[in-house]
Amino acid sequence: MEEDKENKFGADVEVTDWGPLKITGDFRIKDLKRDTEDSPAEILLCLCGKSGIKPLCDESCKK
Amino acid sequence: MEREDKKYSSERKYRNKDITVYWKPSACVHASYCYRELIEVFDPGRRPWVDMSRSTTSRIIEVVNMCPTEALSWKWNDDEKNKNIEIDQLNHVKFRRPELMNINESDQEENTVSVKILANGPIIIRGNFTFSYQGIKKEIYGGLISICRCGASDHMPFCDGRHRKIDFID
Repeated sequence: MEEDKENKFGADVEVTDWGPLKITGDFRIKDLKRDTEDSPAEILLCLCGKSGIKPLCDESCKK
Repeated sequence: MEREDKKYSSERKYRNKDITVYWKPSACVHASYCYRELIEVFDPGRRPWVDMSRSTTSRIIEVVNMCPTEALSWKWNDDEKNKNIEIDQLNHVKFRRPELMNINESDQEENTVSVKILANGPIIIRGNFTFSYQGIKKEIYGGLISICRCGASDHMPFCDGRHRKIDFID
């Protein structure tokens, strides 16, 4: 039963306390500007606007 | 964002772990049973206006069954349970919208969460997922959230459209 409940959620989305948005689990990511699509197991997305490798985080937020 | 909203404005569905509630705005005659009976779940002033987490499944079914039109209907997520529906379940999709009986929402489709990076704009996340912010974890069923990517929103972590004002280029 517990396991059943777990399966209802495809992914976990977390605004990390140190900066980026962390997504893990079963998800499909589409970047409409760069026209790319991928299904990684985990991704860190820039939320501060300063990354040099957007949409990914390059830890510019830490500096 | 406008385009995203438009695409899903004609019909929506809201899920909790037991049931899916379908909303067909074009059929609504504003009889207002839903929000008079259960404003916690059906709040026209909120977006999204239906929040399935705010009451019990049995109470939500009870109130959806009061809707005099097919604007609100519901079905069990477990298809086995949809086979023996009593006639007093007035707004079960079997009686109101039989076309929805045949929609087999496969787990695979439901569980793959959609993440879209809009050009020079926010991250749009749709599906069933958990959302954690400042140590609080929320369970979101059939949800749609928009996360700020420019760093300038006044409603962090959510997008409030400020990326346009600051000419955010990603």
